[in-house]
Amino acid sequence: MGFKLSREAFDAVLQSWTDDYVLFAPKRFEQGGIYSDTDCIRYGQVQAVDEIVFDSKSLYSFKEALLPVSETLFFFTEETVKEADPPKKGAIIFLRSCDLHGLKRLDEIYLRNGPEDAYYRRLRDRVQFVLMGCPHSFENCFCVSMGTNQATDYAISVDVEGDGFLVDCKSEAWAERITPRAEAELDVTPRHVTENAVTVNIPETLTIQVASSRIWDEYDNRCIDCGRCNFVCPTCTCFTMQDLFYTENGRVGERRRIWASCMVDGFTDVAGGGSYRKKNGERMRFKVLHKVYDFKVRTGSHMCVGCGRCDDVCPEYISFSNSVNKLDQAMKEVSGR
Amino acid sequence: MDINTKKLKKNAFRVTKVRGMTASRIRVPGGHLDARYLGKIQEIAERFGNGTIHITSRQGFEIPGIPYEKMAEVNALLQPLIEGLDINQSEPGTGYPASGTRNITACIGNRVCPYACYDTTAFARRIEKAVFPNDLHFKIALTGCPNDCMKVRMHDFGIMGMTEPQFEPQRCVSCEACIDVCAKKSVTALKAVKYRPQRNEEKCIGCGECVLNCPNMAWTRSKEKYYRLTLMGRTGKKNPRLGEDFIKWGDEASIIKIILNTYDYVEKYIDRNAPGGKEHIGYIVDRTGFEEFKGWALKDVNLPAKARVFTPLYWQGIKY
Amino acid sequence: MTDNEYVPFLSKITEIIRHTDIEYTFRMTYDGDVKPGQFFEVSIPKYGEAPISVSGIGDGTVDLTIRKVGKVTNEVFEHTMGDHLFLRGPYGNGFDLDDYRGRELVVVAGGTGLSPVRGVVDHFARHPEEVKGMTLITGFKSPADILFFGDLARWKQSMEVILTVDCADDGDKPAACQIGLVTEHLPKVKLGDISRAVAIVVGPPAMMRFSVLGLLELGFAEKNIWISQERKMCCGIGKCGHCKIGDVYVCLDGPVFNYTKGRTLID
Ligand SMILES: Cc1cc2nc3c(=O)[nH]c(=O)nc-3n(C[C@H](O)[C@H](O)[C@H](O)COP(=O)(O)OP(=O)(O)OC[C@H]3O[C@@H](n4cnc5c(N)ncnc54)[C@H](O)[C@@H]3O)c2cc1C
Ligand code: SF4
Ligand code: SF4
Ligand code: FES
Repeated sequence: MGFKLSREAFDAVLQSWTDDYVLFAPKRFEQGGIYSDTDCIRYGQVQAVDEIVFDSKSLYSFKEALLPVSETLFFFTEETVKEADPPKKGAIIFLRSCDLHGLKRLDEIYLRNGPEDAYYRRLRDRVQFVLMGCPHSFENCFCVSMGTNQATDYAISVDVEGDGFLVDCKSEAWAERITPRAEAELDVTPRHVTENAVTVNIPETLTIQVASSRIWDEYDNRCIDCGRCNFVCPTCTCFTMQDLFYTENGRVGERRRIWASCMVDGFTDVAGGGSYRKKNGERMRFKVLHKVYDFKVRTGSHMCVGCGRCDDVCPEYISFSNSVNKLDQAMKEVSGR
Repeated sequence: MDINTKKLKKNAFRVTKVRGMTASRIRVPGGHLDARYLGKIQEIAERFGNGTIHITSRQGFEIPGIPYEKMAEVNALLQPLIEGLDINQSEPGTGYPASGTRNITACIGNRVCPYACYDTTAFARRIEKAVFPNDLHFKIALTGCPNDCMKVRMHDFGIMGMTEPQFEPQRCVSCEACIDVCAKKSVTALKAVKYRPQRNEEKCIGCGECVLNCPNMAWTRSKEKYYRLTLMGRTGKKNPRLGEDFIKWGDEASIIKIILNTYDYVEKYIDRNAPGGKEHIGYIVDRTGFEEFKGWALKDVNLPAKARVFTPLYWQGIKY
Repeated sequence: MTDNEYVPFLSKITEIIRHTDIEYTFRMTYDGDVKPGQFFEVSIPKYGEAPISVSGIGDGTVDLTIRKVGKVTNEVFEHTMGDHLFLRGPYGNGFDLDDYRGRELVVVAGGTGLSPVRGVVDHFARHPEEVKGMTLITGFKSPADILFFGDLARWKQSMEVILTVDCADDGDKPAACQIGLVTEHLPKVKLGDISRAVAIVVGPPAMMRFSVLGLLELGFAEKNIWISQERKMCCGIGKCGHCKIGDVYVCLDGPVFNYTKGRTLID
């Protein structure tokens, strides 16, 4: 069901959600950029529609709302463990088409790759998704190449239209709240892009042989293994566990998990000083092939959703999409050998 | 030719080696200007000078080879520049007033540099507004961060940008990038405690390396801008020395007030018989003692709670 | 019981068997299905977790043979009989005994690599009629590093056992022990039909690589060789990503891999 809503009316709908839900959306952190006097657009809790940033891409993805950077799993004493409580409220997450496709990748890992993850499940079941339409492509986006430029699995969609919004609502319960506030009822299709300035070509013939190509070598020196590309990615899912104790001698504490990055030192360290993929080029290869090769072998779809955030954030101007576009040449190189 | 050399110096001209020829000295506060003014400078050099320009060590331009009689015409041409750079001027069309207090210099600051903690040029211009025109010999410089590319420690007043890193533990991924970079490039103010960095506030110099290097924005900059103020550095023939830290985590208003207070102090204590009536502030402080100076400098200054005042100060430097 | 995989359960240490100064087997209470080659996450609040292979399966117990190397394993060694440890698992695929039944089986194990495969060896030692023949080649750095010495003597009665140490002062070396790397002893294996013979290789990376090459040289088919991989692990259930190699998660799809798959895994 489609509606046209004024800004005030949409804000009223949004307020009506706040009893049951916490709202996460891209918002402006003033003076929150890493350089002085710069802002940062990233996800945070919002209270009103005016806080939501519709006209820029967020630097980090929505995933932190569903997969907290740091999440307590349980509290322990010497011989007991107690699972951490879930948040009191559910969540509504505003996100774009690429990110909504990213959600399917998170589901794949957290709900299907091995046993279900209880912490992800209990949050996931209480989250609703609001699709933010894309009137145009942003810098570095390549969603069209990845087939993620259009999404349908939303509760409602929002597009900025003049001073108000166009909304497509798939939830009956929510339609009831919206109808009395709407200016008009009409058919709404969320805006989406049909082309990006950046395109990628993932060769059909790609095999793991490509690992031995020389294309990876340039990243040995270019990449500084900071991990930003992983942390901003809507589909990177890795974590590490940590045990904390609250007092020096007591044994009371918590076990938590925190985001991990396959680009950062320590990811593969084993006892006795061993580690795999010491070179940054090898880490780049591992990451790129996970995103556009082996996840598909395992699940049938590519992990990468083409949001381009890894390119947006890399301090060394390493372009992921550009590295993907080298795969064709790399396959020729290794199969010619 | 009858020229009052005392007066022309106070109008930003110079007595040169070549008899009959002067040089026009153009100050650019904060060292940043619109490109169009370069055209004006070029015009003066080509019409009245010898067609060359010297880029000065204090972020100005010096146009040599100008006949003394052209000074008025040069001043007229300088007017758009003086207005554009917002120089305090007593009477329009009369050129740059005064040359005692030196151009307030600044590194490129946060308009371009990722390390800079503030807009150095803008702050320099605000100080310019507060202190110019002035005949007293003050050297003030601003630099964006503790790298001190502007070499502010060689000035009477050195202003160094600082940020107070804000830590959001929930965003930390324990990569230790901040701890590493602080140890390698800065002062080792961070150490890992229970998987997360702990900042030694005493040690921290507010350079912002942790903010720049954290991959997950667990560190961000404070909204408030902070400054370190260093005092009484100098070059010169007698006892050149580096400025010492006076205030850490200071604010802009206090720094401007301290500078203005120092003008009052110098007015009171300067040796009127010094050659040319000029005396470096540092020598005056050496004479009156630091405590007397401090009393004047901090009069009516309201430092932020965070600020730390270092006292007493002792300077080293080269002695002959 | 909770369906939250991350929450560990308490298990009691019923016996501790000391092999060397830094390698003990902890016999732990456990009721449930488990296969040789699978592993448990041994979990000690405040210290963390360590994946440890099942080295033996008893009635209501599992054996965990642990080498003391770091934070968690050091702490495990502070525990004594009657104490409890937290466990979660079992995880991983483990060895499928059917792959070896009715065949000639060669097990090549280096160092602690013997522990994940011990369950397989022990099973066929008790049921020699299930295989056509069996050889165990197991190597340790020095005589002081030998694990499961008592088992080795027992196994000798129902299979060919080649026990070797990399080097040793002669006086030190137990009589039943030879010298040299496991690979040097491979050609000694007597086999009827090499094309149907199967092999398991477990141990440190270099030892595994050379042993597999040796087996291939002898004429083993790739599909008849199994290896067990160790990687950094954290969750054990396919979530944390640490153990991923190419398109496999060692914790889910392994640690046991048929060599046709293992061969394609590039770290
Ligand atoms: C499938 C599997 C089976 C294993 N079976 C055994 C066994 O039967 N007996 C035995 O003694 N050891 C075994 N290991 C190795 C054992 O897990 C490590 O020695 C142990 O994790 C070291 O932990 P630590 O805290 O004592 O050492 P530390 O060096 O202090 O460990 C630091 C961190 O590294 C991780 N880590 C270190 N080494 C490894 C490793 N090899 N694998 C995975 N994570 C590691 C730990 O999770 C920990 O977070 C096995 C490993 C795997 C993956
Ligand atoms: S590719 Fe760029 S963002 Fe990613 S780890 Fe390397 S330097 Fe950091
Ligand atoms: S760099 Fe950031 S994420 Fe890494 S340890 Fe420091 S605060 Fe934590
Ligand atoms: S150990 Fe976490 S995915 Fe395998």
